[in-house]
Amino acid sequence: MDLTAIGAAIAAFTGIGAGVGIGIATSKAVDAVARQPEADGKIMKLLLLGCALAEATAIYGFVVSIMILFT
Amino acid sequence: MDIGGLLKELLLEDKVLIHFDFMNGFFDINRSIVLSWGVIAVLTLLILFLTSNMKVHDISTKQAVAELIVEKLRGITYGMLGDEGLRYRDYMVVVLVFIGASNLVGLFGQTPPTMDLNVTAALSLMSIVLVEAAGIKKKGTRKWLKSFAEPMAIITPMNILELAIRPLSLCMRLFGNIIGATVIMELLKMVVPIIVPAAFSLYFDIFDGLIQAYVFVFLTSLYIKEAVE
Repeated sequence: MDLTAIGAAIAAFTGIGAGVGIGIATSKAVDAVARQPEADGKIMKLLLLGCALAEATAIYGFVVSIMILFT
Repeated sequence: MDIGGLLKELLLEDKVLIHFDFMNGFFDINRSIVLSWGVIAVLTLLILFLTSNMKVHDISTKQAVAELIVEKLRGITYGMLGDEGLRYRDYMVVVLVFIGASNLVGLFGQTPPTMDLNVTAALSLMSIVLVEAAGIKKKGTRKWLKSFAEPMAIITPMNILELAIRPLSLCMRLFGNIIGATVIMELLKMVVPIIVPAAFSLYFDIFDGLIQAYVFVFLTSLYIKEAVE
């Protein structure tokens, strides 16, 4: 039985963590901007950094699943 | 629809564009190299055009635009590096512009050079060498070696591992994002050939590419800032 597709699907579960992380980060950023609209430049920068770091886990999962499928 | 075939064609395509026979062996030039030469050529022509015929007084509109671009880009990287890392500002601007322009190549129907793992690996190796060189230059070799045992001696193995993890994560983040965007765009083009891909291309080709260039530069600047502290 060929289980490579199942392996790739399990690797794709990393998306859950990244999604939750980005959601939390964005909701906090919206809170912060609502409280202090004048600081939105700084908040935006930090949000981008946090999102990129959270997204990286999903990207690792993606790269792993691509490797499983195509090597 | 043959999604598997499309993915195979996209991911496992022959990367070699130019093939030389060289004495007993051979010498290959990859597609991504030629594309990044193209990007460099376009950027160089743009710079030559913008900086030609510069004056101190009575500046032309062209020169004003060039000065505005330089000021803005330097402002972005200065905000990330601070006063300590001022000397690395212009390198960061160059990397930002190069990665940004490389990611936009997808708009012209080519595969972006950053979709090749070799290109992103080279960029991230350059980054980590610069980070460590900045640390050595600022602190001196002895203090730099000591900084591995900070803040506690017990996390020295972690700090040494970070030397490998940082470039790996920089490289994989850029590569994974660009390849993901390209794969999704190709799949969309196959499912709905008209109109819809244009809207998604705005996000996947332009926004995502520029954000990833920014993130790459931001993280490298963060590491440099940490190293020169």
